[in-house]
Amino acid sequence: MSPSFVGVDVPDPKLQKATRLGMVVDQNRCIGCWSCAVGCKEQQNVGIGLYWLRVLTVGGPFMDTPAGTFPDVTMSYQSTNCFHCDNPPCVKACPTQATYKMPNGIVNVNYERCIGCRYCMVACPYDNRVFNWRKPVQEPPASVTVVGETPARPKGVVEKCTFCVQRVTDGLLPRCVVVCPTGARTFGDLDDPTSEVSVLLRDRPSYVVFPERGTRPSLHYLIRTGPNAVGGAL
Amino acid sequence: MSAVSTESVAAAPARGSRGLTFWIVALVALILLGFGVWIYQVARGLQVTNMRDNVIWGLYIISFMFFVGLSAGGLIVASAGRLFGVERFAPIVRLAIVEATITIATAALLIIPDLGHVQHFYNLFIHAHWLSPMIWDLTVILIYLVLSLLYLWLYMRRDLAAQGSWLALGTKDTGEAGRDRDHHLTYILAWIALPAAVLVHSITAWIFGLQISRGFWYSSIMPPLFVSSALVSGLALVTIIAFVVRRSGRISFGDELGSFLGGLLAVFLAVEAFLVLCEVLAGYYPGIPTDAVHQLFTGRYAPGFAVEIVVGLVIPFVLLAVAAWRRRPQIVVLASVLALIGIFVHRANLIVIGLGKDPIALAPGTPLGIPQANGSSFATSSVYFPSIWEFLIVAGIIALSALVFTLAIRYLPLKEKS
Repeated sequence: MSPSFVGVDVPDPKLQKATRLGMVVDQNRCIGCWSCAVGCKEQQNVGIGLYWLRVLTVGGPFMDTPAGTFPDVTMSYQSTNCFHCDNPPCVKACPTQATYKMPNGIVNVNYERCIGCRYCMVACPYDNRVFNWRKPVQEPPASVTVVGETPARPKGVVEKCTFCVQRVTDGLLPRCVVVCPTGARTFGDLDDPTSEVSVLLRDRPSYVVFPERGTRPSLHYLIRTGPNAVGGAL
Repeated sequence: MSAVSTESVAAAPARGSRGLTFWIVALVALILLGFGVWIYQVARGLQVTNMRDNVIWGLYIISFMFFVGLSAGGLIVASAGRLFGVERFAPIVRLAIVEATITIATAALLIIPDLGHVQHFYNLFIHAHWLSPMIWDLTVILIYLVLSLLYLWLYMRRDLAAQGSWLALGTKDTGEAGRDRDHHLTYILAWIALPAAVLVHSITAWIFGLQISRGFWYSSIMPPLFVSSALVSGLALVTIIAFVVRRSGRISFGDELGSFLGGLLAVFLAVEAFLVLCEVLAGYYPGIPTDAVHQLFTGRYAPGFAVEIVVGLVIPFVLLAVAAWRRRPQIVVLASVLALIGIFVHRANLIVIGLGKDPIALAPGTPLGIPQANGSSFATSSVYFPSIWEFLIVAGIIALSALVFTLAIRYLPLKEKS
């Protein structure tokens, strides 16, 4: 019998009581393998062509292009999903209150409310939202994937990362955190000074994307250190 | 004299009746086609458009902005003329209000095909979110529509009553005292209509200008720029239809009014050019190569900007600035058509360039929403040209607008009783 882990398959009550859920991605650990993106697709039943989580590369116009000139080249990644901002422009923009901030800090979408005007996508400075241009196509079909409590989406609505709201409500960690093979992703309550995310942000230098836009993202990146560290943010 | 004009009015439909029938049949065909395509779009989803996750809005929103502008411009011209006592506007005031009313209704219709989940549009009313500029815009457009209908009706109700039309809505008195009272009421309403028209397009501008996510839009110049574009396009359209409708004898005015409108349009064009310069220079001067303003000069959309400036601003301005030229109706109409094209291109540039770049701009970029057979299913920048379905739906809505306008011209009393 395999061991059980708190937050993975054993509920962690701290997650259920959180008031400002946040995520920290360690850029020293991320190897750009897209496991988080695949786990996300599987967990949330995201249609083909849509991604709630994508792994961006610094360097060139294509995936996995190194930055710099040989031999001084570096590979760096930024796995990017909804930042669940404290001051979310998408929530302000939505004309029907379909996208909203939950008491635990998650920015969620009510697919029944959404009229598909895509104003939230215009308002998001990070392009972290995706739209169902057609009836979502799942491959393999939805019945054999891990559906959990994820509501089905009709065509014509906007969707995005929910920090796996249905898992978090049950006290479980988001799927991308669980499947990351290098443990680059940590998740917890930013309001709790003893949580793993709070400790990491205290101990290590970190950045958020576009801090000057005042959105106050809840997803932080720990700055890369060591011999191959790139200057600047990534 | 009056006998002659009555005769020509009576004769005009008979002479033009075949052309009119063909025109109406063509419009109805376009409306039905557009409606059919919209049903197809609802069934298949917005994948039938060429919008994707990297081009979030397209032809529908561009046309929406354009028609709100046409409406605001028309009503500003009509009500400012009334407020500031520009009596020479009188022959075309009713025409301008008809134009403003129909184009604002058209703008409202143009939003509908853009909604992906249109079945749930009623959430706009029952779950309205008052922090959203889109709700401000919806509210002001509905108020403005009612206001312009009321304004139009006040101008016309005594004449409608004299015609025995049911549109007089119970008004029976056609006497001078009543007309004078209505004339005063239109003056009061002009005080509301003018700021409302400025506001309706400012709020449309704030849908874009308040979004910090899009550097090209996030600017306090957006409302003035939108109002100035509205003045150019609204006046241009009113001028064109005034000359067209004059041929049918439904309104009459001398060429000197056309010359006056042309001169006014030249002033509006100069203001528009000034505001575009303010916008572009502020973006260009700091020399940040990633600023979207550079796409106006280099790259895919540079020809569009050239059309906006040369065809839409410089040529019509020159045509109208020369007094001898603007006395000729053909020149005034030509310059108005060019100005209309210029403003449409200006608005297309605004949307396509404003949304054209993935803000984070790291590879591979934003997922497109539909996997691509060739090449990446992600993109860091966009290429957008509307699909045939988008064109057909917009054409259907414009045809409906033109049909209502044709009927309004045919049946409403457009002439001021002097």
